[in-house]
Amino acid sequence: MSREMVISVMSKDRTGIVADITGAIYELGGDLADLNQSTLGGYLTMILFATFDEGVSPAMLREKIDAIDSPTTLDVVAREITPAPSSEHSELPRKTYIMTTQGLNRKGLVYGISSFCFRHDINILDLATTIMADTYTMVLQLDLSRVESIAEVRSALDTYAHEEGLQVVLQHHDLFKVTNEIPF
Amino acid sequence: MLRSDQILATVEMIQKENLDVRTVTMGINLLDCRASSIGQTCRNIEERISERAGKFVETCNFVSRKLGIPVVNKRISITPISLVGAGFNRDDFVALAKSLDRAAAVVEVDILGGFSAQVEKGMTRTDREYIHSLPEALRESKTVCASINIASSQKGINMDALAMLGPTIKDIAEQTADQGGFGAAKFVVFCNQPGDNPFMAGAIHGVEEADTVLNVGVSGPGVIARSLEKLITSRQSDEIGLKLDEIAEEIKQTTFRVTRCGELVGRQVSDILGVSFGVVDLSLAPTPTVGDSVGEILHILGVDAIGAPGSTAILAMLNDAVKKGGIFASKTVGGLSGAFIPVMEDSVLAEAVGKGHLCLEKLEAMTCVCSVGIDMVAIPGSVDGDTISAIIADEMALGMVNNKTTAVRLIPVPGKEVGDSISFGGLFGASPIMPVRNVGKSSRFIGWGGRIPAPVHSFKN
Repeated sequence: MSREMVISVMSKDRTGIVADITGAIYELGGDLADLNQSTLGGYLTMILFATFDEGVSPAMLREKIDAIDSPTTLDVVAREITPAPSSEHSELPRKTYIMTTQGLNRKGLVYGISSFCFRHDINILDLATTIMADTYTMVLQLDLSRVESIAEVRSALDTYAHEEGLQVVLQHHDLFKVTNEIPF
Repeated sequence: MLRSDQILATVEMIQKENLDVRTVTMGINLLDCRASSIGQTCRNIEERISERAGKFVETCNFVSRKLGIPVVNKRISITPISLVGAGFNRDDFVALAKSLDRAAAVVEVDILGGFSAQVEKGMTRTDREYIHSLPEALRESKTVCASINIASSQKGINMDALAMLGPTIKDIAEQTADQGGFGAAKFVVFCNQPGDNPFMAGAIHGVEEADTVLNVGVSGPGVIARSLEKLITSRQSDEIGLKLDEIAEEIKQTTFRVTRCGELVGRQVSDILGVSFGVVDLSLAPTPTVGDSVGEILHILGVDAIGAPGSTAILAMLNDAVKKGGIFASKTVGGLSGAFIPVMEDSVLAEAVGKGHLCLEKLEAMTCVCSVGIDMVAIPGSVDGDTISAIIADEMALGMVNNKTTAVRLIPVPGKEVGDSISFGGLFGASPIMPVRNVGKSSRFIGWGGRIPAPVHSFKN
């Protein structure tokens, strides 16, 4: 039997973090299935899936990482999961949409739009934000699979955008794929 | 996931730069609608259009909402009516136009094209009856557009038909004098007319086509103009030089994006309706909206007056870059595919006419290197029919010799002269009246009749 684990790491960004973490996994005989990382404001966060032999526990993995001689603090969470993550997770749902919102920067913008999504049973697959001058921009990749009427969501979104003074655009992911990718 | 900057660039194209799918046009074969009486033929046609296009507009709107991109016009093109109405007389053709108008209203399309004939080599009795019906047919119908192909690189120019058309166009304008001669804006004369062009007024469903086909017309002069402005500004602020080949590359890449949107919309609509997808027509079709102009692109690329020397060269480069970007983006390209310069529909071109920068002769030269031809040009109502025929003859010769589509859509505005203006509103736009020089000096030429034989390079068999 093997054990599937999900591992989350956060640290002040520096060179060698990925090498340190994957080195620890390797030394414990782990097989790395997937890794995703991102940096923001000088901090790095990553999430990893790995498979270990039965004898390796999440606690052993944390100990191994704690023993790394790191100049930055590595905040680590490791958990065993069942079942294993599907290998198809990279395929996007058919009703994947992109929402972009722009407005003057103020508190609660992400909270507001994410609550809107939650109220309408919309799952946020990915979210990126940028701030330029005073304009706060959010780009959200959304799964609208559980939405029955796109027209109703659009109309509710228009009302929301008007009330909040935001420019909100909701378009199908396909539109961005065809304008930015060459199919192969 | 796509990068945020790519996403924001696409959103900007649609929100701020007028990117849309200009038209989805459903081509419908009507050849088998001909019955023994005109009444039954009209009923057959109306039934056929309702059956094929009943859910067309609704589906286009659904796909538009789903994807989040506007589909501006939903149109129908039909088999050239002179073939459908073989043997009918003038009054019957007027009845057919009214019938098509009703059918278009039922399925709620903006415009229906294909009230047309193809007479590049010779005219049948039916074709003559059809031509005689045009003034009344276009007066009595609202959404019907007419076109006639009188020349081709293969067959030459039918000068008998051409001689009839100058006076016919004047008559069409006079019959709709209360609307400033608007009827003439719904009639276009072609050389090498394509059978799969989705743009009006010249859309037909060619006899070479399947029963029902969807063709898409993309546009986007505004998108190209904004992308060029951005490129020029960023290079100026970075103090890096910019050359024309880089500008052509920018046009090409922007057209690629625009075309891909059209292809996506067209294929989704045709999948839902279960009809075959025809072509994407990659045309830069301006609208009277400010910022959606081909003239503006010429201005951005370096001529301070549209029509100034250099205008033709810029247009040639623009037209070519548009084709190159679009051809790679679509599986099947067709129709007219290039830059349009319809004067009334392009606010910057219309303004150039008012300022005296753009004259008919320069416009004719520009049509040698771009799509279509002398399009939507308002001329004085006093210009005689033979002169109009002769203007058409010159444009037909350009198309015939250069193996390209050319067309003429002139509006001799009744009661208006140089210095006046005319406005049709909406997509048809407005313009000052363009002067026509050397009026009344071509009648001996038009009087010959017969044919201008096909050019030597047509003999390729």
